[in-house]
Amino acid sequence: MRTTYRVFAYIIAAEVAIQAAAVAYALFGLGIWIDKDGGVLDKAAIESEPDFPGVIGFAIHGMNGMMLIPLIALIFFILSFFARVPGGVKWAGFVLIAVIVQVTLGLFGHEIASLGILHGINALLVFSLAVMAGKRAGTSSSQPASGTAAASHSV
Amino acid sequence: MTTRSRLVLAAVATAVIVVPLAWLWWSSLLPDEYSVMTMGYMDYGDGQAEHGETGHMESDAISITELTVPADAKPDVSVDLTVRKETFTLASGRQVDGYTVNGQSPGPTIRATEGDLVEVNLINESVPDGVALHWHGVDVPNAMDGVAGVTQDAVAEGGTFSYRFYADQVGTYWYHSHQISHEQVKGGLLGPLVVSPAVRGEPKGNEVVDLPALVHIYDGVRTVNGFEGDVAVDAAAGQTARVRVINTDNGPMSVWVSGAEYRVVAVDGYDIHQPDTVSGEAVLVTAGGRADLEIVVPDSGARVELGGNTAILLGPGAEAVTKTAAPTDFVDFLDYGSPAPLGFDPGTATRDFEYVVDRRPGLLDGKPGLWWTVNGHMYPDVPMFAVAEGDIVRMTIENHSGEVHPMHLHGHHAVVLSRDGEPATGSPWWVDSLNVRDGETYDIAFVADNPGIWLDHCHNLPHATEGLLAHLMYIGYTTPYMLGGASGNQPE
Repeated sequence: MRTTYRVFAYIIAAEVAIQAAAVAYALFGLGIWIDKDGGVLDKAAIESEPDFPGVIGFAIHGMNGMMLIPLIALIFFILSFFARVPGGVKWAGFVLIAVIVQVTLGLFGHEIASLGILHGINALLVFSLAVMAGKRAGTSSSQPASGTAAASHSV
Repeated sequence: MTTRSRLVLAAVATAVIVVPLAWLWWSSLLPDEYSVMTMGYMDYGDGQAEHGETGHMESDAISITELTVPADAKPDVSVDLTVRKETFTLASGRQVDGYTVNGQSPGPTIRATEGDLVEVNLINESVPDGVALHWHGVDVPNAMDGVAGVTQDAVAEGGTFSYRFYADQVGTYWYHSHQISHEQVKGGLLGPLVVSPAVRGEPKGNEVVDLPALVHIYDGVRTVNGFEGDVAVDAAAGQTARVRVINTDNGPMSVWVSGAEYRVVAVDGYDIHQPDTVSGEAVLVTAGGRADLEIVVPDSGARVELGGNTAILLGPGAEAVTKTAAPTDFVDFLDYGSPAPLGFDPGTATRDFEYVVDRRPGLLDGKPGLWWTVNGHMYPDVPMFAVAEGDIVRMTIENHSGEVHPMHLHGHHAVVLSRDGEPATGSPWWVDSLNVRDGETYDIAFVADNPGIWLDHCHNLPHATEGLLAHLMYIGYTTPYMLGGASGNQPE
């Protein structure tokens, strides 16, 4: 269970990296499409998914962020009940809360642009919390909590 | 804590999280098959929405299948439309994987004269999901409205359906599939429909250039009648060109003219009374909407800019006309043109509805998201606006959802009374597709003179799949058609 806990923690961290990569790829592609190909983005165009290299990044960011990551974070939280990681429930809870905040910021960012600033910063928080949670699960040991106290202090 | 009690605690905590989520998920699932007659709740427009099932299927209710044109009437215009799912080549030369009508997309322009009986025989040669054709903006008899699962069953591969309606409204319209419309319309299952006046001074020689300009984005490229870039049209200096812009996409677009003044002579098929001359402003054509622009072609030519690098070039010298940037000012139809009689008095309205669009997080058919709500309810718990034939109906459309919505009412044209409390003072502004921006409130009115069961939805078609729709129902009518199930009906 500890291993599963750790794997889930690192999957969430990796997902944050994928999210950042996907949206940057999409924005670069959009810029090139407009600057070099004279693409015009208006409401009608945006609703019809303009076709340029990178456009898939928007879809990945949306689906991943709205569905997959919240689901993984929720499973991670439930796993933490069983994993016997010192402070594991707390850290998984922090990750889940940060993910919920992140999704909320992403959704309401469609109404208030400045929420994008917080959305970007909070992404780093999700990443950091996930990594810290993963580290708390120690290495590959599945010993009871007391046995790994020293190991988790050492990190 | 013992291992056992720890496990029990963990299991209980898991149940506390999972059970409510599972229940929410399960209760949001749509039934395999359901009827618009029994979904959502009744709203009689008297301020007292009746909650609970609609289910007003009195045994003596008239089936909408009876709302047709008499079978013995002889058509004046008869067209066969064969639809296929295939890879095809646009007029621009680009290859598209989508849908064709008679081997092409956009489909052929159907032209009729006012009063004609139009008959269109739809033949589904190879669209696996089925097809239904909707006559966007034409207030046809209900059984001819072409909405799969509401006014007919989707026409399966190899099947046919005959649409018959009187072309009583002069103007610019279009037809498109209303079966899995968010996909089939995007893929090109559409075409223009133009109704000309019965009595018109015969154009002397070649005075008028009449050009349907169907704008559609195929694979991210904006086209007009399938062409892209600068599209030259034969027109001589001094001629009057009527450019019938049809926005078939999912969001509003801007149209403006470089090198000439213009007038907007019609919106959504209905003439503007005494339209003013416009320069330096754009016309916003909402998704599904139409605007007819009249331009007297100057000696030096003119460009009708459609955005997305696509423009119509009028006149021989038009290549030299400098492309202008999209104006930030728009023609405001609230005070455009001059007033004329409406033909009815909205002050004597017998029904008053609210159509408030918002959104909230939740589950729709098991999918989490930030979903649209109509009057605070999420699909399928949407209102059924109930009217009786002859009612004068007012409707207030409010949008708090953070996004623009092109609201389309089937089977009727409504007149705009006010926007954000500011009354309309120009020409009567009749619409079937109304652009309602976030934060805006429109008051509209219409006469309930076309019985049946009608969709009243957002014409950003993916939004309709996300539940942004309601229905207008005439009391005493019912539909036998079902959504989902064996018929595969899926209008959105």
